[in-house]
Amino acid sequence: MAHHKTPTTMSRRGALMLMGAAGTAGLLAPNLLGKPAFAATPPETPTGRIIVGLSQEPTNFNPLMVKIEVDDGVHFSMFDALFRVMPDGEIVPNLASEVPSQANGGISEDGLEWRVKLRDDVTWHDGAPFTAEDVKYTLDLIVNPDFRSWRTAGHSLLREVTVVSPTEVTWRMEKPFSPYLSFLTETFMVPKHILGAEADPNTAAFNQAPVGTGAFKWDNRIAGDHISLVANPDYFGEGPYIEQLIFKYIPDVTVLYTQFKSGDVDLLGRMYITPDNYAEAQTLAGKVIKLEPATSVETIYLNLERPVFKELAVREAVYAAIDKASIIDALYYGLPDSVETFMPRTSAYLHPDLPQHEFSLERANQLLDEAGWVPGSDGIREKDGVRLSFVNSTTSGNHLREQLQQFVQQTLREAGIEMTIENYPAAVIWGEFWTQSQFDSVVVGITYLIGSDPDVTNRFHSGAIIAQGGRGSNNAQYKNARVDELLDEGSASFDPERRREIYLEVQELIRADLPFLPLFSDNSIRAWKEGIEGVVHNGNTRTETWNAGQWYWAS
Amino acid sequence: MLVFLLNRLWQSVILLLIVSIIGFTILNLMPGGPLAQFALDPGMTQADMDRLAEQMGLNRPLPVQYFDWLMRMLQGDWGTSFRDGVPVLDVIGRHLFATLLLMGSSTVIAIAIGTWIGIRGATHRYSMFDYSATVGAMVALSIPTFWFGLVGIYVFSLRLGWVPAGNMYTIGDGSVLNYLHHLILPSIVLSLVNVAVWSRYMRSATLDVINQDFVKTARAKGLTERRVLMKHVVGNALLPMITLAGMQLPSILGGALVTETVFTWPGMGRLFLDSLGYSDYPVVMGILMFSAFLTVLGNLIADVVIAMVDPRIRLG
Amino acid sequence: MSTIPLSEPRSRWWHSRAVRRFARHRLALIGVVMITALTLACVAGPWLLPYDQLYIDLRARFAPPMTGQHYLGTDPLGRDIAARLLMAGRTSLLVGVCAMVLSTLLGAFVGVVAGYRGGWVGASLMRMVDAFLAFPSIFLVLALAALLKPSPTMITIIIALTSWMEVARIVEAEVRSLREREFVQAGRMLGLSRSHIMFREILPNAMGPIIVAATLTVARAILLEAYVSFLGYGIQPPLPSWGNMLNGAQQYLASAPWLAIVPGITITMAVTSFNFIGDGLRDALDVRSGPG
Repeated sequence: MAHHKTPTTMSRRGALMLMGAAGTAGLLAPNLLGKPAFAATPPETPTGRIIVGLSQEPTNFNPLMVKIEVDDGVHFSMFDALFRVMPDGEIVPNLASEVPSQANGGISEDGLEWRVKLRDDVTWHDGAPFTAEDVKYTLDLIVNPDFRSWRTAGHSLLREVTVVSPTEVTWRMEKPFSPYLSFLTETFMVPKHILGAEADPNTAAFNQAPVGTGAFKWDNRIAGDHISLVANPDYFGEGPYIEQLIFKYIPDVTVLYTQFKSGDVDLLGRMYITPDNYAEAQTLAGKVIKLEPATSVETIYLNLERPVFKELAVREAVYAAIDKASIIDALYYGLPDSVETFMPRTSAYLHPDLPQHEFSLERANQLLDEAGWVPGSDGIREKDGVRLSFVNSTTSGNHLREQLQQFVQQTLREAGIEMTIENYPAAVIWGEFWTQSQFDSVVVGITYLIGSDPDVTNRFHSGAIIAQGGRGSNNAQYKNARVDELLDEGSASFDPERRREIYLEVQELIRADLPFLPLFSDNSIRAWKEGIEGVVHNGNTRTETWNAGQWYWAS
Repeated sequence: MLVFLLNRLWQSVILLLIVSIIGFTILNLMPGGPLAQFALDPGMTQADMDRLAEQMGLNRPLPVQYFDWLMRMLQGDWGTSFRDGVPVLDVIGRHLFATLLLMGSSTVIAIAIGTWIGIRGATHRYSMFDYSATVGAMVALSIPTFWFGLVGIYVFSLRLGWVPAGNMYTIGDGSVLNYLHHLILPSIVLSLVNVAVWSRYMRSATLDVINQDFVKTARAKGLTERRVLMKHVVGNALLPMITLAGMQLPSILGGALVTETVFTWPGMGRLFLDSLGYSDYPVVMGILMFSAFLTVLGNLIADVVIAMVDPRIRLG
Repeated sequence: MSTIPLSEPRSRWWHSRAVRRFARHRLALIGVVMITALTLACVAGPWLLPYDQLYIDLRARFAPPMTGQHYLGTDPLGRDIAARLLMAGRTSLLVGVCAMVLSTLLGAFVGVVAGYRGGWVGASLMRMVDAFLAFPSIFLVLALAALLKPSPTMITIIIALTSWMEVARIVEAEVRSLREREFVQAGRMLGLSRSHIMFREILPNAMGPIIVAATLTVARAILLEAYVSFLGYGIQPPLPSWGNMLNGAQQYLASAPWLAIVPGITITMAVTSFNFIGDGLRDALDVRSGPG
């Protein structure tokens, strides 16, 4: 193994990594840090600059405030959470000195009492020491009713967050909730001595010039253009090895790619390279092009309360009438993998043997004939006065999805199913239209998991249907008593084996019920300049810069 | 004159009020809203959404929200952006430079070329030059700007590699030369329409003046054609041109929007589209009011100039 | 100022001075020929081509122009671009013309009322015009497109709603200057009703500028439709329009430039034609152009 600053942790991580690589069939880099054993070693002092190109603009720099994926890139580089989730899903200590579990006594047998020990060698960017007070402040701030915080799920269960010593904090949970450990890998700690001193944390100066514990410090931001971070020489962990990290906002993916080709951008962040450019990208000199499995699943998401979709036979027929292979091979250049479940391909909870989709218009026609849907005068089937017709919507301006829609429309027509297209801008479609289940069907890519935890209560529990007074995002209005039961049990269990059984069964049930038609899961085309070392894909985070502190230029 | 001015000012205030009401209504009637961007986040529950709506004051009745906004606005508080918490005026200010740079350089190009073409066309009326200029201007006005930008990128950037495909500058290279290099294509694309418009106006403005008696007199006095032109024609034609410039003030936003989108230029136009996309109401309203204010100002200038020039128009 | 003499002798319309002047205007004739040809092609063309504009053939995607019988190539779904272009022309031209008719009616109505009534009615109407003009039209279009379900009819209405102000301004100015003319005063003296004077006596005399403005509005409407559909907010697939054919073309600019070039040139041709015609009409009808 290459030389590391902190050999003990690293060898442990290395072992975990090897397990992960085996588990995901070599999709991951052959080394956790992306450094083949023979490669150059990082420089002694931070050297050079890396420009990350993004197609959306990070605008929120307070990691606790409500944010979108693209903001995470900055947060992971500037801040630390108590734990860090590794590419294989393993949760390792970060600001904490160990991961609490029932085995090591960090979590009580009933799952209610948590005790977290902290590192004692961490300082904020301004030099002040990081202590348990900061942890308590952070956890309390998240549930402060006046604070515009991001997700409060899990955090709202916390009671009596107590500072035991500067390096130890405890709390009690209202009920056992195992996914919380995973949530804490995305809960970045903020400095009490700075943010706590401000009158209103929503509008604090801190939000424009944040101070964290991370590998990089805030430099400046040119709004609408870029954000610049600089190396934190006192970082407690490994790295940083580069002097400057820049997030460059280029709103158009085509221009983003052009700028990458011309060398103005060193590494492509979200949205990466579009599939149509993959073949060309591979021929580029001096660039590393790599496929990485995305966690989101592209689906035709159905509204089960619509009369046509209430019937399972219709959902099965529509699914059978979708020529998935052509969509993947022609429209997406063969890059995505066909999937049958919501579980990411990299997850340890992935069900390997679900029934495979088969494109068959015969089967679709047969299913509909048997269910009593008879073709009308215009060729569209009808039953009891209901036409087999539905609207499909997606974000306007998403060309690939629009092509997919039109292709599906043509094949469905051959099975006597009418699909019309009505697309809306992002800000419209993902509003009430989506949350209140006002759609018939939507083409959407969804990441179902929060972090690496397999809990999907929010998506499939009958109590999570907003349109029916629930509080979640089960917008398909899917209801299955057995699934409810399993999800309730799964989120309260800390037993990995039992949880695995639970979520495998959930996947089977959902595959059979088809509340959404799983199409495929994309492999995003990551790309960076040759010479950048240490880039590793981590599907359990939402950003490619989750470990930017460990990147360096091979000299 | 004072009465006229006061009257116009009063009308302008009313106008701004109407604009704000229409803008606010349309914006808030748009389905979706500022929280839509979080809807696909697996960890955001409806409880979180409701809490945020409450904290951001989005669940109050529309008239209440409007009057709240109006009251703050009257006290000079333009609000803060939903996206990054920065005061709206700062947000606008941060993007204004890029737009002014682009608009400025394209206007310089447009005025220079347009004036030349216009005057030459007028003095050489019905010549081959005049004819091609007329046709050229009409075609230029007919080309979709976004498409012209695309073709420009395809030819000069992708095929020939002469200029960058977008952006205002290369990071780490803040030199003037670098800015200029990035400016070339978008400012030419943006100036295309303006050259057409300016040259047409300049041509007809020059024609209006060229046959008037004092010019004929000047010519009869034996002044050279060039001096007559410079002194009288241009001097007289420029007044209407200023009017036109006044009318064009608001296009600082509208005119550059398309070009900024195609060339990923970090200016007001793109800020506007982004803010609209995220339903960042305070910023969208800010930009609308800002541009409405410019329009009002432009109209005011135009009216005053016209009123001063043309006594036939009744004041009031 | 525009004056079609009231007592035009009852000669045949094609003998009129305006028609003769228009016929002498070479550009205008070119415009008429181009737009007629384009319209005919859009109406008849789709029957003559061997492909259906909606037929998807993934094996034939991205065929460059002049491959086999795909004279203009195919799009990312393997559909024939020539067939789509002509069908799109029907949509785009129809949207352009209908939007023109709607916006001209609205603009002329507001203009006549504001110009003739004057006073506070006129002032407030014109302030409304100013208010609408104070919005970047793209804001109005995008906001309205998000508000209403996207369909050709809706897009037409939206474009009309954002393009009537110019006409209103022109007509208002024209009517204001006509208001004190002898024939109007004579009409008033004869006790004709206000609406009769407004719409029967004054409006016909303002027809010149209205026609010119209307022609230019078609041009503008086609451009606006193209831009809105280009952004994906306009005409929805699979129905083709010139604008939504460009939607996505930017992504394939390097590999399939014809996707952008073909519809772009067509739009430019159509819009140029209308602008030429507008220019010819302006000369023929003796409508004053220029600053102010």
